[in-house]
Amino acid sequence: MAEPQTPAAPVAAQTLARRQLTYAQAINEALAQAMELSSDVFVMGQLVDYRSGVFGTTSGLAEKFGPDRVRDFPVAESLMTSAAIGAAASGMRPVIVHTRLDFMMYSMDAIVNWLALWRFKSDGHAGLPVTIRAIVGKGWGQGPQHSKSPHAWFAHLPGLRVAVPATAYDAKGLLLESIFSEDPSIIIESRSLFSMVDAVPEAPYRVRFGRATVRRRGQDVTLATLGSMVPITLRAAQRLAGEGIEVEVIDLRTVSPIDMESICDSVRRTGRLVVADPAWHSVGVAAEVIAGVVERMGSTLRANPARVTFPDSHTPMSASLEAQFYPDEEQMCAAVRAVLRS
Amino acid sequence: MTQSLTHESIRAAGRYDRLSLTGVEPRVLQALFRFMLRLRLCEEALVREYHPADEMKCPVHFCIGQEAVPAGLAPHLRREDYLYSHHRTHGYFFAKGAPMRALFAELHGRETGANGGKAGSQDISMTSHHMYGGAILAGAISIAVGTAVAAQLRKADYIAVSGFGDAATEEGAFWEAISYAVLRKLPLVFICENNGYSVYSHQLKRQPADNISARVAAFGMRTVTIFGNDAVECYRVLGDAVARARRGEGPTFIEAYTYRWSAHVGPENDDWIGYRADSERDFWKENDPIVLLEEKLRAASLLSDAQRRDTEKEIQLEIADAFSFAKSSPFPRLTDWTSMNLSAATPMADRLLSDLEAGDFDHDQPDLIPGPY
Repeated sequence: MAEPQTPAAPVAAQTLARRQLTYAQAINEALAQAMELSSDVFVMGQLVDYRSGVFGTTSGLAEKFGPDRVRDFPVAESLMTSAAIGAAASGMRPVIVHTRLDFMMYSMDAIVNWLALWRFKSDGHAGLPVTIRAIVGKGWGQGPQHSKSPHAWFAHLPGLRVAVPATAYDAKGLLLESIFSEDPSIIIESRSLFSMVDAVPEAPYRVRFGRATVRRRGQDVTLATLGSMVPITLRAAQRLAGEGIEVEVIDLRTVSPIDMESICDSVRRTGRLVVADPAWHSVGVAAEVIAGVVERMGSTLRANPARVTFPDSHTPMSASLEAQFYPDEEQMCAAVRAVLRS
Repeated sequence: MTQSLTHESIRAAGRYDRLSLTGVEPRVLQALFRFMLRLRLCEEALVREYHPADEMKCPVHFCIGQEAVPAGLAPHLRREDYLYSHHRTHGYFFAKGAPMRALFAELHGRETGANGGKAGSQDISMTSHHMYGGAILAGAISIAVGTAVAAQLRKADYIAVSGFGDAATEEGAFWEAISYAVLRKLPLVFICENNGYSVYSHQLKRQPADNISARVAAFGMRTVTIFGNDAVECYRVLGDAVARARRGEGPTFIEAYTYRWSAHVGPENDDWIGYRADSERDFWKENDPIVLLEEKLRAASLLSDAQRRDTEKEIQLEIADAFSFAKSSPFPRLTDWTSMNLSAATPMADRLLSDLEAGDFDHDQPDLIPGPY
């Protein structure tokens, strides 16, 4: 990682009713509001107190809340996560930030053996309101060590909640919900979303886990998607509409829990399901969603479900291969057309 | 208090003869003795009961022989301090004042156990007493760091204490914890009970030298090496470390050389495996922490036969009560698996956050192409 090239844009204090913020600005605002709302909230991560502020998401916080509450942490990801556990065990609400999720792998013991089972093991006497923000790189040759999104791994663990927000609105609401809930949450943020804007209310609000949202209505096929796949899916849906195909796009928002009810409601109307998951193909969230639908209503499906995912391969650096690794709008359209043809 | 102690130097010195009562109040000395005797009798009773009854269906790592460190720690801790323990938990459980009934019931898998029967001996914790055990070694050490960070952030005067064994120092997270504790001058006490073995593996098969303090000192940490079967020395050194942590003078690493008489796990003897010499075990039995203190207390007329007998009788009654409490307690009932793992209630979020309608996301925007960073 090199130092960032561009300074982060400050959060604009707009008074417009439908104020637009970028994904990064929305996260920044959520952190600032959480720290104002409670002195138990603090932020730890590498370089969080520099002006660049982890792609703008922590810029200005150290100036406002001081370097102890906005704490540049050593490159000791295992300790950082355990420290968050120990702080939360004594009543704090820490937020930890990984500029690249790949570094978070050092903290697997802390997450798997301690964080996820604290409430269970304490017989419900204690929970750990720890929030882990982990950023997934995409594009410009991030390559195999800067681009992994193992949200399915974390969703497999009991005792954790996992969000993969796609919009600025959700990024803020899910982050605040995580910080002020009573259990640990992992929020996986795709770098490719950081400049995208959305209407973001100024008031501190919540987006609840396990509640999907319908991003586009349609009656021909249900396209369940999440995270960095959402904008691609929406653009593909627009294109398909030009061909007379109406796609219903459901953004899962969280993968632990998964809102199977909303997905099934939609599939009940369309009879067809495509799942677009920004992760490896096999044994992932896409498979879980399809299994969940088939278990509940498999015999009513009018076509075999389909998955649009990354290949079962590590991410290549070279732009020519990278372009083939990440599914684009055309691939998304092709998957939908194929399901409609079958 | 020398940095050059090793397991070898301790054995070479022969039977320990430097236990001194000087400067410690009689009631404290008697409390140290009682703590150790209670822990020993408790462990022995659990060992006797374990198999014939077969009602404690969980791995138990007994701490017979290692009573002096938790005894020396107990008088210095306040209710609000946090204690994180290795998997040999019973001594630390008592050091934090957690009740024997809750321990025994937990081992028996009962609803009234410290964790409602979900954790057992190696994972026992008692939230109300700020005591947390765990079996994955260095993970707990770095959790203690976070509690100390929180105390410092809040300018509170509680401290964190982390008790672990020599093998935990082989995991990388341990060194991350040491480095950060020194860097931030955290209110933290590290206690390494160096008993020389990781299960069956001798320390010198795993580490280049057995004096862990020397390596830790290289990080700028204040370190103290002690004979860990001298309960009075443990009391003094731990008291000093706790007081320094409370005064904001930063962390201390204490290496207490000791020895486990018990098998690594379970009530049986595991010496048939041949991992340790009889002579080594005999040496440490001759340096029984309870006997070392008892001899001095008797010589100073601080313990009589009658007092010893009464104390033991009291403890045996408590043990009998704890067994009968455990065995007569109900087993936990299954409610539902989800609520065991996650809280449905979110009181703070309910109070601080509002439910709003989502905005309309513009469907026609390009993704970010990030650039080099």
